Amino acid sequence: MAGEEEESNKGFRLLGILDVQNTPCARDAILHGAGGSLTAGLLHFLATSRVKRSFDVGFAGFMLTTLGSWFYCRITNAKLRVQQRVIQDGIKNKVTYEGTVLDPTNKPGAETSSRPS
Amino acid sequence: MAHPSQLGFQDAASPVMEELLHFHDHALMIVFLISTLVLYIIVAMVSTKLTNKYILDSQEIEVIWTILPAFILILIALPSLRILYLMDEINDPHLTIKAMGHQWYWSYEYTDYEDLGFDSYMLPTQDLAPGQFRLLEADHRMVIPVESPIRVLVSAEDVLHSWAVPSLGVKMDAVPGRLNQTAFIASRPGVFYGQCSEICGANHSFMPIVVEAVPLQYFEKWSSLMLED
Repeated sequence: MAGEEEESNKGFRLLGILDVQNTPCARDAILHGAGGSLTAGLLHFLATSRVKRSFDVGFAGFMLTTLGSWFYCRITNAKLRVQQRVIQDGIKNKVTYEGTVLDPTNKPGAETSSRPS
Repeated sequence: MAHPSQLGFQDAASPVMEELLHFHDHALMIVFLISTLVLYIIVAMVSTKLTNKYILDSQEIEVIWTILPAFILILIALPSLRILYLMDEINDPHLTIKAMGHQWYWSYEYTDYEDLGFDSYMLPTQDLAPGQFRLLEADHRMVIPVESPIRVLVSAEDVLHSWAVPSLGVKMDAVPGRLNQTAFIASRPGVFYGQCSEICGANHSFMPIVVEAVPLQYFEKWSSLMLED
């Protein structure tokens, strides 16, 4: 069981730096980058038959696709986290203040209609 | 706590530490891409047959390798400054605890309501129960309520110490004669370990910090028990 925990904690590190398994969005960004690199390099080679330049184009494609995918995924995740926090705070406030004046779900119309005549 | 041969950060237990982890991932991805670029350029330089003995200057590449690093630095600096100011925000703490560093233990004072104070010594290895962590456990833990902003005032009685809990994203120097303030929120219940982070003598490595975050009702029970003792 300790072995299983170690295996799940030890992510694969690209260049010994980037833990691809445990860093959110990293795996997707690298895979998209690899796909973009292959596509760009291959298309350039098919069009020009220049091997070295196609490698350069492929590498540029890798950088741009990885960056683009990374930032898109991170921004989406950040927005989700903000939403999560707002929902969490809303639930906490609802639980804490339910039945009181500070209840966040209190509507002014419901209050007036509940008063005895 | 850290696990054996760990390289990365511990799991975050506070919102600030979560933000720090995200920023670290962001910076690391940029570092990874730059390293890949440099590696590729080195391989390309080493494997080319082209030589040009008559290059004097090249305005285009000079512009590129000035603008691009500036842009990368801005990309790193903006989230960095954001989190720097986020770490300095202190939003109406519910509880203030004084953490005093001594040679070689910590003492904690909860003086908001009653006078509660206790010392926290490391548990010696021979006194550990099975499952407890060597050099990390203490006889008395600093217990705090979960999901509540906590202010910690850190100081020292003798020499420099430093109160640090990595999973909460907190580190503050304990300076004799000076009161340093830090604040955090424990987002989940649990036990969080740290160690003294400023060299303070022979047993500098043997004065750990243990913070236990519990639901409020358990915190109230604990503080009543401690006051009775």
